[in-house]
Amino acid sequence: MSDSSPAEPGDIILEVRDLRKEFIARKGRARVRAVDGVSFALRRGEIIGLVGESGSGKTTIGKLIMRLIEPSSGSIEVAGFRSGSRSAVGDMAYRRRVQMVFQDPYASMNPHFRIKDVLEEPLLVHRIGKTREERMAMVASAMEKVKMTPVADFLDRHPHMLSGGQRQRIATARTLILRPSVIVADEPVSMIDLSTRAEILHLMKTIQEEMELSFIYITHDISTARYFADRIAVMYLGRIVEIGGRDEVIDNPVHPYTRALIAAVCEPEAGRAGTLRELQVRGEIPSASDIPSGCRFRTRCMYAAEECAALPEPELEDIGGGHSHACRRWKEIGWSGSP
Amino acid sequence: MSAGEFWDDFSKSKTGLVGLGLMLAFVLLGASGELLVPFPGASRHWRDIDYWRDNPLAAPPAWTNAFVARKGAPSSILTRFKAEKETRDDGVGIETFAFDYPFAYDRPPRDLIVRVPGSGRVPLVIWLERPDGLSAELYRDQVDLSGGGENRVSVTRDCARAAIEFVRSRDEAIADTMNADLIKPVAVLFAKAGSGNLDAPTPLKGVYEIKIRALIVSSDFSVGRPSIIVSGQVSGIMGTDAAKRDVFTGIVLGIRWALVIGILSSSVTVVAGVLLGIVAAYFGGVLDWLLTRLYELIYFLPVLPFLIVISAIFKPSIWVLIAIICAFFWTGSFKTVYGMTLQIREESFVEASRALGSGPWRIVLRHIAPMLLPYSFASMALSVPAIIVYEASVSLIGLGDATIVSWGQILESALTQGAVINGLWWWVIPPGLMIALMGMSFAFLGTALDKILHPKLKTR
Amino acid sequence: MGDMKRAGTEPVLSVRGLKLHYFTSKGAVRAVDGISFDLYPGETLGLVGESGCGKTSAGYALLGMASPPGRIVEGSILVDGTEVVGMPERSLRRDLRWSKISMVFQGAMNCLTPVYTIRELMAETYREHAPARTRDAVARGDGGIDALLAESLRLVGLPVAALGRYPHELSGGMKQRVAIAMALFLEPRVVVMDEPTTALDVIVQAQILNLVKGLKRDLGLSCVFITHDLATEAEIADRILVMYAGKMAELGSSEDIFGNDPLTGSLHPYTQMLLASTPRLHRRVSELAFIPGSPPDLIDPPEGCRFAPRCPFAKAKCHRDEPPIAELGHRHLAACWKAMEDPEYERL
Repeated sequence: MSDSSPAEPGDIILEVRDLRKEFIARKGRARVRAVDGVSFALRRGEIIGLVGESGSGKTTIGKLIMRLIEPSSGSIEVAGFRSGSRSAVGDMAYRRRVQMVFQDPYASMNPHFRIKDVLEEPLLVHRIGKTREERMAMVASAMEKVKMTPVADFLDRHPHMLSGGQRQRIATARTLILRPSVIVADEPVSMIDLSTRAEILHLMKTIQEEMELSFIYITHDISTARYFADRIAVMYLGRIVEIGGRDEVIDNPVHPYTRALIAAVCEPEAGRAGTLRELQVRGEIPSASDIPSGCRFRTRCMYAAEECAALPEPELEDIGGGHSHACRRWKEIGWSGSP
Repeated sequence: MSAGEFWDDFSKSKTGLVGLGLMLAFVLLGASGELLVPFPGASRHWRDIDYWRDNPLAAPPAWTNAFVARKGAPSSILTRFKAEKETRDDGVGIETFAFDYPFAYDRPPRDLIVRVPGSGRVPLVIWLERPDGLSAELYRDQVDLSGGGENRVSVTRDCARAAIEFVRSRDEAIADTMNADLIKPVAVLFAKAGSGNLDAPTPLKGVYEIKIRALIVSSDFSVGRPSIIVSGQVSGIMGTDAAKRDVFTGIVLGIRWALVIGILSSSVTVVAGVLLGIVAAYFGGVLDWLLTRLYELIYFLPVLPFLIVISAIFKPSIWVLIAIICAFFWTGSFKTVYGMTLQIREESFVEASRALGSGPWRIVLRHIAPMLLPYSFASMALSVPAIIVYEASVSLIGLGDATIVSWGQILESALTQGAVINGLWWWVIPPGLMIALMGMSFAFLGTALDKILHPKLKTR
Repeated sequence: MGDMKRAGTEPVLSVRGLKLHYFTSKGAVRAVDGISFDLYPGETLGLVGESGCGKTSAGYALLGMASPPGRIVEGSILVDGTEVVGMPERSLRRDLRWSKISMVFQGAMNCLTPVYTIRELMAETYREHAPARTRDAVARGDGGIDALLAESLRLVGLPVAALGRYPHELSGGMKQRVAIAMALFLEPRVVVMDEPTTALDVIVQAQILNLVKGLKRDLGLSCVFITHDLATEAEIADRILVMYAGKMAELGSSEDIFGNDPLTGSLHPYTQMLLASTPRLHRRVSELAFIPGSPPDLIDPPEGCRFAPRCPFAKAKCHRDEPPIAELGHRHLAACWKAMEDPEYERL
């Protein structure tokens, strides 16, 4: 999993085509374009990191893929099942294949439930397992996969009796129990202590390799994305502005926003306290109800020119090796996209 | 929260424990009513004059004797007697029953009622043997015991002339001044010889014997176990009312009705309010709009005037009244539950369940309702006092269901039958006190429950 | 604004053996259990540690603001020569808080009451801490208070127009600047900042850190910067104090802690493991470390070194005796038997 090429020998398991989601806010006076035309594909056994700041739409994409909210337009297909099926059977078939790990390890479990109830719920909803014993066996096996052993110790506990890391393990077990194809992880470790984060990420990675799962890893922290994901997609104001292999994107970023993001990341190294960090953006993120015409990043871009406002929004341009970006002027600015 | 944790918290609340204790006492009393009250058949016979015939009218409670100088004889029933049977030479059976009545009071009973069950036409003689050796014949007649009905001889009603004759045997002059319609026969019979027999005679204290002799002339005729009811000056734990009913019995019966009305109404209203609240908040849309408008309409309608108007026009039974109360009271829990559901709906674990594909009913029943149930119990307890008072208010102004024995009904009859004017405090205070007490116990209980169970809506 | 730069060799903040315990019904939670450090003018000290290590409690203690049931049970805090521990509340309010030392609280940017404008919010804080000055400014008329506040806004890079806005009209970064401006009103010598950038986007975080660095440079501001993120700490702090379970694990310069050379790098195993757990953007790391287990119970902490149960180098001595804080390099302190090369430790 360490080379930068995304051409894995797996078939495409998830395909998102021109996904859009618009919210009506402030009693109809504001139209918030949270997701504004996103397309990408995910292969079996691949991890894609969706990286972005607030307002980038990354969390909304997660909810769209999980079918917690309906898209305004566009399609999502997982293992051949389309999201948004009108039939109950089709809907359940889709949902079985996509599972989610939530950000807050405590809030994502009903505090009155015991761990065994939390893990049994997916089975009951999808009517898997005819007897209690059958279901409990599946629960136990899921707990073993996430190393919550001895299983009997934890089955009857309530969530508040576990640590944050343990709860995220259970949350992970909950996603595995239905044997899905795709797991959406929305900031799974941002509310966990630093010293435990790697443990959870490592666990997820192990399970992912064993079970050939595909992951969508949503985060604002590009450093953990480098550790965890195979590919990285950088999002800004509802669109993907750059996508490629994780090493490619981080070592050779092309889009000005990606470059600004990477330049802003702090590193644990000495001697930085006296120097100001050079930031490569101007101003603030515009409101998603008032997205700039043309290239949406031009209001903050140091290299914006007239054509960036006048011409329509650039599409993702493939520059080889699975690396694409959406900057019209990249050649003029002088970045090649290769080392 | 587990049962153990709940009890730990609850037992720390003094008001809660008081409330719980009172409520349990009420339930116990209400449930075992028949065993405790002196008149087990009272609920069926509350408005049956005949049933209460033998009670004194408007008698204060027996314990008031402790506070007065001249103590009145309390009501009681004499059931123990010495029986003798003999057969005359001509085959006629003679049965004699002798009752002892120890009298140590300053005021004699208002009446003595002799009841003789049996069958056939039986000549009866009843006489009184006084502690000073004098005896008075009270009654001599042939009685058809199979009449099925009463078989009762009331000294006050039937023995006035006998009392006058008794006086005549000692003092002819005074006897002539006595009018059978005006004297109090029992007082006369119990008077010390020599004291003025008319107005306030000094009673003779000691053990009286009341004897009954029955002649059985045929084997078809028989006499059962007689009893003598002493209708006292004071009676029972709470006295009697103007219809001779034992107030204590009424109060205990009232407990049942109060509990039924209170608990039934509060359960129905809270369950309805919770269900409707959850449904409106979770499903939104037209259902939400409809229910919220309904809530607003009912919330702003004043309950009591409405109840009064309906009661005046339709004269409903207690069950209809309860239904109307329920129709008003569900709004209380509706609004709170509505708000709470809206909040719980946004919680991450509800989202997680939806993502799995849980249907709305699963989420409502497994995730939302259990979080609201504890609050519902507190809400139930807290709504009981108001409901009881509403029923009492409607009954008090005469519009309630007169066929039930509720505290409100007791109060109503007290006020309309002159309890206040005549100073019959034992009739007025207990029902009012009970309403307050039961209201208080549920309020205490409910407040304690609310404090412990009210969901802290941040689930962390 | 006055010249806040002072080339002194006296520390502006001096803490010795600070202990703050919370007295709960379940027992005394020993949240801060003996930390010591010096802060010199123009220096930024980073207080770093994971949740529950006591860093926020320590920050509150510096202003004499132990929140009940917490109490400072031992130690001394000298702010510009004034002893904070034991000072009565009235004096703290009158002479210490905001004038000598102030604080930007965790989540302060979210505590701006939404129904007041920025002008009203700032004026209220000003009035709280400098009533006389505020009265004079208001008496001078309409522009008076604005002139007073505009200076603070200028310091944090906000336009005067922001005064008329409501909090919800400002972005996260702007709200945080307002919070920082409010802490600088009375030109304190030390500002304590508790997780000021944690809730902010990456780029905004960098902007705020630049702001703090600028204030340090231009005003000679001394700062205690509390965060759980080592990378952020590296960006801003001159010296770093690593806390674990209420105790000091290590205190040293940025070089001491983050230096890559094993000879000059961090000494305490906890610091080392924490560093190894921090993901890096520009260095290819195939495995990220983690520390198994969880922090100890602070009501009944274990005997000996508090980190021993999770330390891969722990030996019998570590479980038995608590290591003292020892100076193991120039102004580089650590509390660890292994780092001290304690003979008994070495023997076993």
